[in-house]
Amino acid sequence: MKKPLFLGLSLQAFGTLILVTILLAKVFIVRIQTTHLRKEPKFYAQTLTVLKAGESVEQISAQNGWIQVKTPKGLVGWIHTSSVAERKFSLTGLAQPLKYEASASEVALAAKGFNEQVEKSYRASHPGVSFAWVDKMLKIKIPSSQMKIFLQKGKLGEFRRAK
Amino acid sequence: MRKAELSLSALVIIMVCFLGSCAVIEKGAGVLGDTGTISARDRDAITKTSKVVRKTFADINEEEEYYIGRAVAALILSRYPVYNNTALNQYINYVGNGVVFYSDRPETYAGYHFLILDTEEINALAAPGGFIFITKGLLRRCKDEEMLACILAHEVGHVSAKHGLKSIKKSRLIDAFKILGEEALQRYGPEELAQLTEIFEDVLGDIVEKLIERGYDRKYEYEADKLGVRFAVNTGYNPGGLADFLQTMVDDASKVSGKGWFKTHPSAEDRIERVSKEIVSLKSIPPPESVRTQRYKRSIKSLK
Repeated sequence: MKKPLFLGLSLQAFGTLILVTILLAKVFIVRIQTTHLRKEPKFYAQTLTVLKAGESVEQISAQNGWIQVKTPKGLVGWIHTSSVAERKFSLTGLAQPLKYEASASEVALAAKGFNEQVEKSYRASHPGVSFAWVDKMLKIKIPSSQMKIFLQKGKLGEFRRAK
Repeated sequence: MRKAELSLSALVIIMVCFLGSCAVIEKGAGVLGDTGTISARDRDAITKTSKVVRKTFADINEEEEYYIGRAVAALILSRYPVYNNTALNQYINYVGNGVVFYSDRPETYAGYHFLILDTEEINALAAPGGFIFITKGLLRRCKDEEMLACILAHEVGHVSAKHGLKSIKKSRLIDAFKILGEEALQRYGPEELAQLTEIFEDVLGDIVEKLIERGYDRKYEYEADKLGVRFAVNTGYNPGGLADFLQTMVDDASKVSGKGWFKTHPSAEDRIERVSKEIVSLKSIPPPESVRTQRYKRSIKSLK
């Protein structure tokens, strides 16, 4: 007689634990073209993988504008808060048809808006406005390893002289 | 037996709740789809509500800001030629991105990019999303890396606080969001596209007018100075670089006076006073480093 009760209670506790864990998990969506999942909370830290716009990650911890996250593939690393938007779940009305509330940021994330198609249309009617240097400008990229050396040599960031 | 039944029913209730919540989560995850991206169906469902939700500049997403910024940058580049000096442009990008790392908004849709404009006019301009320009004339006035970093930090401040987007007239956004909210198509039809392109053009006009012709509201310039000081200090630069630069503009009687920054920014004296107060209020101020001044002088040698 005691066994089913014990089993029931254990399962109940287990179920509650899973439920609480899921409810507390914060999910973030990448809102920029790409962001790097880094080994440490620093922009010049080693890249573990590159995350694309719309990909989701789950928060583990947070510190000074950085979030430690887990990807759906199980990779754990750090991303900066400015690269993501928080996903909000609506947990009201379990008995009713389940629905979520679209926050302003989610709506903005999903919206079409001013996009490549609008730019193409604008360019067609303004042939005098050249985007050639804009595209060249976008290609100027500083590798994070080089950036680290630049900061280090210039005694900047974490490498500044102690007072 | 009754206890067993009770625990079984408790278990059933928990499982129902658990599965129910899973369904909620799954619905949420479903928005992202199996690959973690937003599905076409959910995109449509969300955009249908956008008519109600999207109202102000703050609701312009990162990708839209990027496309606005690209076009503003193209318009700036149609007025000023580029100073095509790869090494010097590279150096500017090192200094600029160093400041970006320690700013409030280090990541934008396609990152921050810096470019030198081939004009003796004294000016620095920031298009939404992180397209930042500095003129040769302004570079000549910089005596060290601290001054350059502080000016770039001021521009990063404009991007970070979205001053460009805040310059867009509200009516434009209301019109745009109305079109965007009414339809949930993946691509626009010819009529929608024509309407949106017209609004896009007006949006660019609003920003460019402020950037080049009239200047931002004074409060935005003061805010950018304040942010610039903070970002520079966070990076480890001496914020006095901004006041030093502004000092070069006081009582300027050169040919370029009255153009560029002179035309679009509040008076240098006023800004120096505010910046100095801001610096005094700081807990600690990083000292200038000669190693930085030396590398600045080495890099600037190629400026013709």
